[in-house]
Amino acid sequence: MEPILPPADATGPAAPADFEVALVSLNQWQLAWRRFRRHKLAIFGSVLFLTMVAIAIFGPFILPYDPLAEPTPILHCVGTNILANTGCPPFNDGHILGTAGGTQEDLLTLVVNGARISLAIGIGAATFATVLGAIVGGVSGYFGGWVDTILMRIVDVLLSLPLLFVVIVFAKVFGYGDWKVILVVFAILGWPSIARLVRSLFLTLRTEVFVDAARAVGVSDLRIIFRHILPNAMSPIIVVTTLSIAGFIVEEAFISYIGFGVNSLYNPTWGNILSNAQDDIIVGNWWWPLFPGLAIVLTVLGINFMGDGLRDALDPRSRE
Amino acid sequence: MTRMTPTAGTSGEPSASGAVSDGLLLDVRGLRTYFHVMDGTVKAVDGVDFSIPRGGTVGLVGESGCGKSVTAHTIMRLIDIPPGEIAGGEVWFDGRDLLKLSANEMRHVRGGEIAMIFQEPMTSLNPVFTIGDQISEAVLLHNDVNKKEAANRAIEALREVGVSAPERRVRQYPHELSGGMRQRAMIAMALSCNPKLVIADEPTTALDVTIQAQILELIKALQARTGTALLLITHDLAVVAETVQTIAVMYAGRIVETGTVDQVLLAPQHPYTQGLLSSIPGVKKRGKALSVIRGVVPNPFRMPPACKFQPRCPYAWDICSMKEPELLPARTGAMSRCYLHSPEGASRLAAFESAVAATMEGVGG
Repeated sequence: MEPILPPADATGPAAPADFEVALVSLNQWQLAWRRFRRHKLAIFGSVLFLTMVAIAIFGPFILPYDPLAEPTPILHCVGTNILANTGCPPFNDGHILGTAGGTQEDLLTLVVNGARISLAIGIGAATFATVLGAIVGGVSGYFGGWVDTILMRIVDVLLSLPLLFVVIVFAKVFGYGDWKVILVVFAILGWPSIARLVRSLFLTLRTEVFVDAARAVGVSDLRIIFRHILPNAMSPIIVVTTLSIAGFIVEEAFISYIGFGVNSLYNPTWGNILSNAQDDIIVGNWWWPLFPGLAIVLTVLGINFMGDGLRDALDPRSRE
Repeated sequence: MTRMTPTAGTSGEPSASGAVSDGLLLDVRGLRTYFHVMDGTVKAVDGVDFSIPRGGTVGLVGESGCGKSVTAHTIMRLIDIPPGEIAGGEVWFDGRDLLKLSANEMRHVRGGEIAMIFQEPMTSLNPVFTIGDQISEAVLLHNDVNKKEAANRAIEALREVGVSAPERRVRQYPHELSGGMRQRAMIAMALSCNPKLVIADEPTTALDVTIQAQILELIKALQARTGTALLLITHDLAVVAETVQTIAVMYAGRIVETGTVDQVLLAPQHPYTQGLLSSIPGVKKRGKALSVIRGVVPNPFRMPPACKFQPRCPYAWDICSMKEPELLPARTGAMSRCYLHSPEGASRLAAFESAVAATMEGVGG
């Protein structure tokens, strides 16, 4: 087709401002990655977290011990006269982190297998909570009116439920000690706060002109919510999701520690290893609580550093 | 109340009620849009009638807050309900009353048959998508084409609005383009589906003067070539003077004067329009104080009971605060919502007309 208006000469002076052309167009994610890469602590945190995830996924295949098989009890730790029923110290008889008391299981095997469940609960619950929270918050904030009122009252109710009470009720109804039940409880109690965040983001974003422009082109409401507004709200959502993984891992440790969480007979988690270890701290078995505790601290620290880095990288105002 | 529906180019004649007059693309009748807010009800649009013939161009002019943007948004049904309410009226477009369409049917009208260009090119493009994605989306929504064809149409659309190197522009993000470029992209998007009507809501307000002229030229040229009708909303009288055939002047949610560009701008027939024109600085007024319309726009919660301009009008007399005037035919052929053009006002018309003559003298032709 013939251009009906030549770029510049027909309307007089040319528009030189229209010729700033970057060689490569970077989208917001590429720009964010650039900023994230420069954030040393965030890279360190991400490496820490991703290492934990890798250990959780591949570790159990590499380790020689079966976490569910109970080892044959021995009386004394090999080469010493320490009684083995309260656990053996690190590097005793090939047990790098030592053994746990009671069952005398290899502590490294327990912590690595515990990482699976602890991380699965953390990541799984955060994912479910985010997806549900984004849908409910997005619909609520975009449509407003009675839809918003109803959804936000549900959110209010869920936010007023005490965690421990819900965990106990669910344990009673769906079976005690199942890690999947814990994951679902966390997701149910976790999505409302994300829904509130997403709603507040949508309340601001839906008044943007590009939303009106999309409607004026004939885009459907659902497509506007999920294709047009949600990508603009992604940055804070990603940060909150990341940080909530850390929150859920700590919560799992907490409820498993007090005995309402995952059953240590079937699934070791960092929380229930700690719980089992507490009695023997007194007799000086420092390694038993130390290593699962260290795993929690390093993972949570890694996630928090990563979240900090994401917050800076994804914040459009921090464009240097 | 007899309704007068002026059409472009000809003097107003009452349209037959119910049916759409031949040749009219858009016929807005008695449109009312209210906003229910905490302090009461704002009647942002309160009985607006106007029409646009096929391929015609109409300018809706008025100061900020007079309801011109709300009128456009109501036609597109982009008003948030609540707090908004379309309290009455009909919007006949191509044989259908848009206010009676389902949300789904309306979606096909938007973009496909009526397109809109917004005031701020800075914010009317989605920052997270490329220009090409956004134009292609409009094309995909209203045409039976695949993604590849839509992408090609996007490039063509950009080329048509005078964007250089469109193959490269489609892959760029809005923040990489200048304001003028973005407005061109918006126009490309609006025209990508060959709409029958384009509503341009202050398309040049956010742009600097040289770019304004380019964009207006572009809109005019594309309008002439594609034959699409144009509703241009602006507060800038210079913009309408150059771009449209017919003008409707809005004040406080009503149309107070309508006629051809020459009728309205060369011999205004409503004291408000006259006041607007006389406040334009001109060469001949050099050294003198600029004239202003005295008073302020009425409080939306406490509108004057009859003529909304009466408190500010230098020609008002007792009838003006008793009953609101209708659009009355003036001697020039324009329609004016003013009793000066009624038999009762005949004795005062001469004073007004000499003031108009003085104004036009001052503006400098």
